[in-house]
Amino acid sequence: MKFHWFNLMPWPYLPDDFTTQHRSVWVDVDSRLFDARKANKVYNDYLDLLEFAEELGYDGIGVNEHHQNAYGLMPSPQIMAATLSRRTRDASILLLGQSLALYDPPTRVAEEMAMIDCMSGGRLIAGFPVGTSMDDNYACGVNPATLREKYYEAHDLVKRAWSDPDVFPWNGKHYKLRYVNLWPRPIQTPPPIWIPGGGSVETWDFCAQNNYNYSYLSFQGYVRGAQLMEGFWQHMEKAGLEFNPYQGAFAQQICVAETDAEAKRLYEKHARYFFSRCLHVHPGFADAPGYRTEATIRAGLTSQMAGQSSALNQAAALSWEEMVERGYIVAGGVDSVIEQMEKLARGLKCGHLVCLLHFGDMPNELCRYSSELFATRVIPKIRNIWGEYTDHWSPKPMAKEERTVPRDPSRGAFTAIDDTRPALQVATGGR
Amino acid sequence: MELKQFVTTVGGLTVHYARAGRGAPLLYLHGMLGLTSFDEAFARLAESFDVIAPCAPGWGPAKDDLTRMDQGPLDLTLHNLDVLDDLGLDRVHVAGTSIGAWMAAELAAIAPQRVDRLVLINPVGLWLENAQGEDPFAVHPGMPSELLFSSADLRRKHVFDGRDKVDAHVGELLDLRASAKFLWPIPDTGISKRLPRIKAPTLIVTCEKDRVVPAAHGPAWQQAIQHAELTTLSGVGHVPEMEQPGRLATLVAQFLLERRVAAVA
Repeated sequence: MKFHWFNLMPWPYLPDDFTTQHRSVWVDVDSRLFDARKANKVYNDYLDLLEFAEELGYDGIGVNEHHQNAYGLMPSPQIMAATLSRRTRDASILLLGQSLALYDPPTRVAEEMAMIDCMSGGRLIAGFPVGTSMDDNYACGVNPATLREKYYEAHDLVKRAWSDPDVFPWNGKHYKLRYVNLWPRPIQTPPPIWIPGGGSVETWDFCAQNNYNYSYLSFQGYVRGAQLMEGFWQHMEKAGLEFNPYQGAFAQQICVAETDAEAKRLYEKHARYFFSRCLHVHPGFADAPGYRTEATIRAGLTSQMAGQSSALNQAAALSWEEMVERGYIVAGGVDSVIEQMEKLARGLKCGHLVCLLHFGDMPNELCRYSSELFATRVIPKIRNIWGEYTDHWSPKPMAKEERTVPRDPSRGAFTAIDDTRPALQVATGGR
Repeated sequence: MELKQFVTTVGGLTVHYARAGRGAPLLYLHGMLGLTSFDEAFARLAESFDVIAPCAPGWGPAKDDLTRMDQGPLDLTLHNLDVLDDLGLDRVHVAGTSIGAWMAAELAAIAPQRVDRLVLINPVGLWLENAQGEDPFAVHPGMPSELLFSSADLRRKHVFDGRDKVDAHVGELLDLRASAKFLWPIPDTGISKRLPRIKAPTLIVTCEKDRVVPAAHGPAWQQAIQHAELTTLSGVGHVPEMEQPGRLATLVAQFLLERRVAAVA
């Protein structure tokens, strides 16, 4: 299995009465709750954690995109990925990802991802989510009736821009460009593509047609997630694709302590902060008319009528034990987390796990403790699950000895200067 | 209300429409929920007119044609002209509610020679900073059209009564999707600069309890159109054609038959 350390980067200073005094954490959340000076610490703490995760040996470190919200402070995940590409050496950079329909022209996404791939020596995983309705429709004003058309067209354009060596015109329905000619271009041709989704059949078809990784992002935990992933795997089988667990990824909240009791004492309040405050979304912003396709609406209505709540924050009402039991969160002492993780891996059949080891208002030092226990005492016990399969959805970076190492300011000296370059000739060249 | 259909000669789109009654031809352009629960208003109007009520491309049985309506007002207006041409109607009265009132105004502005008299009921399409109205597309997805009605009970009655629950709810969401396509994210359609082109005598109807197009929009439409009267219906929300069909039909008939209309009905 592969383990990616991921942080949504929530705003950790929402007040205790947030859910009663404010209608939404997204779109029209009161900007007076934000404090830019505190954000200086928040961003640096969160980036420190991502960099620390590489030191702990996580396979990837992940960032994503959200707008106008206190749930996740990364309107621009490429900025985060850019700084991580300079400050880390080995981890995959899981950019999960860029909501393609928000960028006009979408070649901007192709350009920026190419820059990150070049800077990182080919460590980029390119995530292409449709994006939430809160982000795309309400915060960024994209028309829900044409969002998916734009998304698919932007995807085709980005893929062609990465692969076609010639200048080409793009006369699409939503985008028209007379001259497409990508500079720079990615090292990987193309980077592995992951599609984060919430369970729509159209997304499964899209992954099947293109052989992409499907990343299920849900906050309903691995127990219910296993049912949905089963649907995905059956769908892949019907499409004639051979089963490979690395074609699936799952995001899961995880926290580890020495004992179950200690886990509850250390992490419960931070989990509650996440499930109540961070998921407190005004229902009127959750699902613009046209955001979901007719097929997905019908499937959703069927499951609602079967008694399944679709509310984002449904875990907030549960006890800690119920949250763990139902898999909203993997939590406990080391042995019990290993047990839960084995169950999770077998149930989901996913080779990639996006580990949400930071959640809610968890402080930096507590998150380091949990992340370290998971890396040193849990991962070694479960890493070999799915060892018999080949992972085709991880980056293929340049060989380590070929990659340029950024300057280390503590050592003062510049490294990796190419002494063979004819510097004087450049200055007088062309005359 | 039985729907007939034909394919437009020029555009090649299938038109699903209801037609009944005797008298001068009246083209009725529906609101955000299409022809949902329009039967009674249709029957009342048909007492005085030859009523033609088509489903616009994107709504109801024409849901899949939404992807062909990409040039907003131009595509919709050309389509409505195609409908009139194929039905052999040279000049008609036109009445529209909500988004249909916007389409009616576009038709009267772009082809003034085709419109006899015009009725705009709760017209969407202007953006007034001081009277923004509520966002009809930021509503709980479990009751997405609730804002259009003056009470939750009225929505349940008009959307669900006599229909399969899932089909009705899906239909409601898809009709709103079509509306959103033309009005997202702010219902400023650009009609304001075309309103002075309208030559038809026009009646603007606003509704006192309309939360989407506040009654304060009435004077703005009236001032921009050359020959316009304004009246306000008390006690009704954004969908008077469903909530008070008889009262609305009487008002429309009065105006189209060139009788005096009171400022407050």
